Amino acid sequence: MKSITTFPLFRISGFPNWILALSISLLVLQTSCNKEKRYIYEVQQQELYQSAAQKQNLKTTDQFISIAYSHLFGASITNTELTKYNIALQSLGDKSTMQDMIVKSMINRSGVQLVSNTAMRADIPTFVEETYLRFYNRKPNEFERWKMKDLIQKNTDVTPQMIYYSMMTSDEYPYY
Amino acid sequence: MKRKQFIKNAALTAASSIVMPYILPSGRLFAATGSRKANHVVFCLFAGGVRNLESMQKSEGNMMRNTLNGTEPVSADIAPGIHQLSPLTNNPLQNSGTLFKEFRYSSGPTGHYNGHTTAITGKYSDESIQLKQPPKYPTIFEYYRKHTSPTTSALNAWWISNALGPYPYLNYSMYDGYGAPYGANMIQPASIFNASAAAELGNPLTLTQSDKSKCDMMRDFMNGQFKIPQAAASSGIVNTPADAEHLQTWLNTMIYQVTHSATQDPWGTGIMTGDMANIYFGIEVMKEFKPELMVINMTDIDIGHFDFTKYVNAIGLADYALYKLWDAIQTTPGMANDTVLIVVPEHGRNQQANSLVDAYGRYALDHNNDQMSREIFCLMAGKGVKQGQVISQIQGESVDVVPTIANVLGFDNEIPFGILDGRVLTEAFV
Repeated sequence: MKSITTFPLFRISGFPNWILALSISLLVLQTSCNKEKRYIYEVQQQELYQSAAQKQNLKTTDQFISIAYSHLFGASITNTELTKYNIALQSLGDKSTMQDMIVKSMINRSGVQLVSNTAMRADIPTFVEETYLRFYNRKPNEFERWKMKDLIQKNTDVTPQMIYYSMMTSDEYPYY
Repeated sequence: MKRKQFIKNAALTAASSIVMPYILPSGRLFAATGSRKANHVVFCLFAGGVRNLESMQKSEGNMMRNTLNGTEPVSADIAPGIHQLSPLTNNPLQNSGTLFKEFRYSSGPTGHYNGHTTAITGKYSDESIQLKQPPKYPTIFEYYRKHTSPTTSALNAWWISNALGPYPYLNYSMYDGYGAPYGANMIQPASIFNASAAAELGNPLTLTQSDKSKCDMMRDFMNGQFKIPQAAASSGIVNTPADAEHLQTWLNTMIYQVTHSATQDPWGTGIMTGDMANIYFGIEVMKEFKPELMVINMTDIDIGHFDFTKYVNAIGLADYALYKLWDAIQTTPGMANDTVLIVVPEHGRNQQANSLVDAYGRYALDHNNDQMSREIFCLMAGKGVKQGQVISQIQGESVDVVPTIANVLGFDNEIPFGILDGRVLTEAFV
């Protein structure tokens, strides 16, 4: 299960220093040659949060929708779908309620990467660890590890889908 | 009957006789802060830019046969372009209330958003309005929710917009001490209640009550581990968990109806414009939540920039929808006979036409701050409003609507002195 969220980053590609020096020399010597800078879109892996307290910013509407989609489907949302969900969010004043509806809708679609109930119960600690990484982009603390394990063990009717839904509609999820 | 039982019953009866009169039809336990004229207000912005010439003065015939008395026929040259629906009543709305035929939008740009903002905040805005942020001054929703005692649920205040763009921002302001905690629930039905959105939202995860309790339990635990950062806290309107569930259930019901074609032509008119649909869904909000304050708009009339005949046609269809709204108020338990309806365009249109000619040879109309674009009307009807009164001289302004609503709902004296530009339209009341 993938646990790292990725964000696109706009940056200038790096060169070794000697190439950079040679390039500058050539630029000085051959001023008639106009070499353009190269811009490359790269994907940078975001570091894990050490704790929930590091999250201080609210995701934008687009971020919320596209991150939720990628967390559930392990793929990028299409522009068409992003637009539809975005409009739905704009169309209701109570954003939390619409976010809840969007999550309920996404999580019930085919193609969602769900851990089976059997797999979850076969190794609850691993499930808890991976689920926190997947949705909160951080590891659970000791108390969370213990409590979630306890909750899952004591409530045999709790499914991975219910846990995903609870996390995605929790206070922490809209923040980064 | 034993003495002890008798005393108990007598005590309960006495207690009931004290408490029961305060359980009002709106579900409130106690009366509001001040004396109320009615327990509900529906404010319909008959918007899109309507000239008094085509509405009150009937220059193209009586296009508002459900609102205004008279049977003046539609001008013959444009009649083929007009969708003439049979009037819904023989007793037009003006007979049930007071009509200000020469109301004014006196100051500020005659733009749709300016006009809406002025009508909803009771403040003229001479400066440029930021389109992507809430208004500078408190909205009527915030005054209502902050100054009504006891505090009312957000489901009691609704802003129902027929467009996105800047309009969703009108449910609360940026004013210190007001803002989102006192805002209204906002909905733009056209973007949620359509086949495309229904395909995205129409098959949600359903949870049994037991599943829901388990999810709530897990979420409560997760929430206990996270402190929402104050600086970045969501600034949107927030319903209580119970209200949010009520709202979501209703939304899902409406989405279900949309997916089963129940909302395609609910009035059997063969036509359902954006304005008509917005009113239709507004009525559904009204029937479900019985809000004490609901503001709803129509804007199809703005086709007047490009096509005069379609503009006149849109006035007629908006009039039809308006009467449907009135009729629904009269037949909705809890709102019937306890509601004041206020109808005002946000502004008018220019006297001078632009250069666009329609299929009937008529020139289109913009709205650029000329005198005619400031001439509007106001109709008030319902409980406590003088019936059959027509005020033909220049009287009343757009900024008077907010203090008037506050007066009807009994909290006008609670609004801090000096914020509002307007006055209560006392002449409209019995």
